[in-house]
Amino acid sequence: MLSDSDLTFGFLSYTYGMKLRDMITEKRTEFPYGHLKKYMTVLEYDRAAGELVVHSGGDQLPEEIQRAISSAGATADFLMSSHSKRVLAQSLSREAYIDGVRRTLEHIREGYTYQLNLSIKFTIERESLNALSLFTHLYKTYPAPFYAWFRSGQHQILSTSPERFLRVDGGRVLSQPIKGTLRFEQYDESLVRVLTESPKESAELSMIVDLIRNDISLNCEYGSVRVDGHQSTFVVDNLVQMYSNVFGSLKSDRTCVDLLLDAFPGGSVTGCPKKKSMQIIDKLEPNTRDIYCGSFFVIKDRKHMDSSIAIRTGYYDTNTGAFHFFAGSGIVVDSDPEREYDETVAKAEKFLKVLGQ
Amino acid sequence: MKAVIIDNDDSFTGNLEHLLVESIGSRPLVVPYSYLDTVNLDDYDLAVISAGPGKPSEYPDYAALLESGVPVLGICLGMQIINEHFGGETARLPDCVHGKTDKVEYDGHTFTVARYHSLYLRRVADCLEVVAVNGAGVPMALRHKTRKIIGYQFHPESFMTPEGAYFVDHAISFLYPNRSHEVPRGRRVARKALRR
Repeated sequence: MLSDSDLTFGFLSYTYGMKLRDMITEKRTEFPYGHLKKYMTVLEYDRAAGELVVHSGGDQLPEEIQRAISSAGATADFLMSSHSKRVLAQSLSREAYIDGVRRTLEHIREGYTYQLNLSIKFTIERESLNALSLFTHLYKTYPAPFYAWFRSGQHQILSTSPERFLRVDGGRVLSQPIKGTLRFEQYDESLVRVLTESPKESAELSMIVDLIRNDISLNCEYGSVRVDGHQSTFVVDNLVQMYSNVFGSLKSDRTCVDLLLDAFPGGSVTGCPKKKSMQIIDKLEPNTRDIYCGSFFVIKDRKHMDSSIAIRTGYYDTNTGAFHFFAGSGIVVDSDPEREYDETVAKAEKFLKVLGQ
Repeated sequence: MKAVIIDNDDSFTGNLEHLLVESIGSRPLVVPYSYLDTVNLDDYDLAVISAGPGKPSEYPDYAALLESGVPVLGICLGMQIINEHFGGETARLPDCVHGKTDKVEYDGHTFTVARYHSLYLRRVADCLEVVAVNGAGVPMALRHKTRKIIGYQFHPESFMTPEGAYFVDHAISFLYPNRSHEVPRGRRVARKALRR
């Protein structure tokens, strides 16, 4: 099946989200604010139908594309043994992160934030890392719905996100914020209740649901914003996580880009209230987040888009041979600093394991 | 009814705007706090002071608004600003609450409401009257004894406050006792709330 492709793929960096809110960071950023691409040919795998759809607007012959597809072999395994240097650096050590959580709790008690997402940047030196095979390896071993692979300048970005930010389908807007995490070794059904009945984890999600309602309401019809399936759960990477569906109807004179820019960056990765929380984050985190906590998106037209929150995301800098990845945790008044550190490391675990740390 | 919402850089102001539209049936103007001095208050029938980060003393520009005579509804920080302006005190709330529900008695009924606050009214100004408290005695709603000013500590605009529209309708009924017929949709919601 062939059709014209007019899809735009790209990302916006978290740093751009700061600029959108008139915040100037003094830290050095390694990323552009965003990067958008259009491709001559786009392959779309329809999982439900078991079909591969080829969108091609260029001069490439269908036969040529078909040949390339049929001759494509299995993805290469990611071989750890080929990498010898294993230096791990953290932007915040365990002690520094725990101290950051304590400071955040003080900001919460003072009323400057209700919830704040505090993250760590991890760096591993890996000369000649095959980042693409790392990406496919992660996809096979730790599947999640919003994986993205993207080259931008010297950076090879791999996002293993489970989180949708905003989808626009016609006039229908959907956001699915994730908050509340429970790590397990062996899954059993009682874990879901442990998570959904935790007042702390429930409050984390509820705050972000109110924040997302707000953020989409700016471009949605009055009275159209509603919450559905509050405290739904799913399992990813040995974690049970909670999410909600927030729906709205896009105003007829607004586009998905209006919605994206007004709601960006996603509330689940900033905290609440958003601007004040972002200002505090900028003080507590020594690094810039760059692509982390930004968004990847596919835009079809003014009213059709899907996008992710770029969490569980890393990038390989081909100039320096360093692989960077990030993980964070939402801090609320009931947070225990050491547990939040453990949760952050649990979210980084798949990268740490695969990279042999 | 023409309303203006002053946004204290909060992240729930859009929710408040949507809720207010349900009650008054017209689109309010939303203005950031930093542009408060550009608003001609004489043009408005209602000024809503939003929630937001920090403490009342960081928002000194509300003095003029609170003395202007325009009817005022304050939410969360907005209520704390009203209280401090008239001589009350704000302090840290022991065991502060964010993103959780509580029960309050209001207008003869029990309501579930969403709370987001680190601070509370430690001392209520003499000219204000607390009209709702939670189980621990924390002030949850207040009114000015003689002027058209009302405040809620909780968040009617949260999805965790099922009867949110009731509180906006009720505030407007208090501020405009003779104009309650102008909020037909709100009254419908209110009746639903009262049937429970």
